[in-house]
Amino acid sequence: MSITTTLLLTLCLILLPRARAEADLVVVVNARNGIERLTLDSVINIFMGRYRQLPSGIPAQPVDQPDGRPEKARFYRLLVNKDLAEINAYWARLIFSGRTSPPYQAKSTAEILDRLARQPGAIAYIERNQADPRVRIVLELEH
Amino acid sequence: MNIGHILWLALIVSPGSAAAADPFATGAVNSGFTLNGFGTLGFARSDNDQAQYVRDLSQPYGLTTNGTAKVDSVLGLQAAYRFDNKLDGMLQAISRYRYDGSYRPEISWAFLHYSPDPDLNLRVGRLGTEFYMSADSRLVGYANLTVRPPPDYFGPLIFSYLDGFDVDLARPVANGLLRGKLFAGYSPESSPFVGNITWDLSGTLLAGGYLDYQTGPWQIRLGHVQARFNKELPLDALVPGIIEAAPELSVSDKWARFDSLGVVYDPGPFQFQAMFSQTRHDSATYEDTRAGYAIASYRIGKATPYLGYSRTLSKANRFAPTSPPLAAQIASATHSDQYTWFLGGRWDIRKDLDLKAQVDWVRGSPSSIFPFRGDPVVWDGRMTVFSLTLDFVF
Repeated sequence: MSITTTLLLTLCLILLPRARAEADLVVVVNARNGIERLTLDSVINIFMGRYRQLPSGIPAQPVDQPDGRPEKARFYRLLVNKDLAEINAYWARLIFSGRTSPPYQAKSTAEILDRLARQPGAIAYIERNQADPRVRIVLELEH
Repeated sequence: MNIGHILWLALIVSPGSAAAADPFATGAVNSGFTLNGFGTLGFARSDNDQAQYVRDLSQPYGLTTNGTAKVDSVLGLQAAYRFDNKLDGMLQAISRYRYDGSYRPEISWAFLHYSPDPDLNLRVGRLGTEFYMSADSRLVGYANLTVRPPPDYFGPLIFSYLDGFDVDLARPVANGLLRGKLFAGYSPESSPFVGNITWDLSGTLLAGGYLDYQTGPWQIRLGHVQARFNKELPLDALVPGIIEAAPELSVSDKWARFDSLGVVYDPGPFQFQAMFSQTRHDSATYEDTRAGYAIASYRIGKATPYLGYSRTLSKANRFAPTSPPLAAQIASATHSDQYTWFLGGRWDIRKDLDLKAQVDWVRGSPSSIFPFRGDPVVWDGRMTVFSLTLDFVF
């Protein structure tokens, strides 16, 4: 029993700081655009530029976190299990064959929240504790 | 060039730019002017001087035991302008080793794109040809895993772009996305034939389309393209009067049909893609061909090792006993019967920059001369190619 307890304690010590450092990532939209939930597939379609239409019929306008922010790398890891280098190569193909553009890249979380409030079609990902009343969480991404 | 000029004019005349407009105020995303570029610095050599290895048959001469940078090196510049949420235009110029042996810049894309709905796209102007999956971005090394698209499969593809239009429509079906595309236009290009003799492809009608279904990590695509050649192959420059003596060699107003199937499985670090194609020619000059390839890769941090296999096999054409023996000899120059194993690695050095190294082991029959340049007469069908490329985008 004492070994199990020690193991459990050690496990807690290892996992706790990590859980605190990696808050949940959530996908958010404008709180007034009437969308309650989005499926993982539709969020993939929007952020990968395959099909950018929200269920309400308005065009989706995806917003990326700034380059170098850990949220960005984590988002694409959770979304399609890809590194940012692979995402970058993916967009190179679409840009240089004249197809869709990558998501707009914001300069800060404040800009993301501002866009979400102003643009009915804006869709972004943030840490759960950054969500404010102007936005609605439509999908939670699991670790 | 005309379409390019018109588009440039549109870009210059149109008011506003990204620097002047506040994207917040208009609510627009990615409005205004953008400038991008891509390029590859490559070097490759082989261990066999009997035949010259080329990236595809748009190149008049290839590599031998003397290494060369010409086969894989390319530079592209692209300007795009977004007028509003529904209309944008793009212009792309590239410099690469061309059919005439020069590096003269050419306009590879120049179009206006109208999208009344996010699921419907219409483009008019000069467009990259999407004969097969990824064929319209095969010069963008950074976007591709291997050093070059497998020549056994993509090598006979001499069309890079067309002047015309395309339409594509996407619809969510079940948990996936169904996409259909149609395109048509005329080729403005030329192709090398033998030595310095070139074949004018202008006026060649290209029309085709595909159905594509993507669900989870799977993507599958069925494509069909037809080409109707306009001008005669310059066979008469080699053998005067041969087309008159053997009319079945004529390619003018004859169709070529390209059917293809592509599959991609991409669940994460492991990735797999395979394609199959069948090409049928109405002209007896070209042999009907079946080709295919498969590539598997596994990403470990910044490095992605990959292993691939490609195969091409054509069927000899039968000629009437009354045809001159030279006719069959000419047609046999389009014979392919070989496979290639290739092993390589891609290393993502930093954002927008990668380095690749690859070895290709070509194993074929001595009659397999179509994929090569240099008019191989004595050819054992075996070649090893060593390649190194540095790809970048900006």
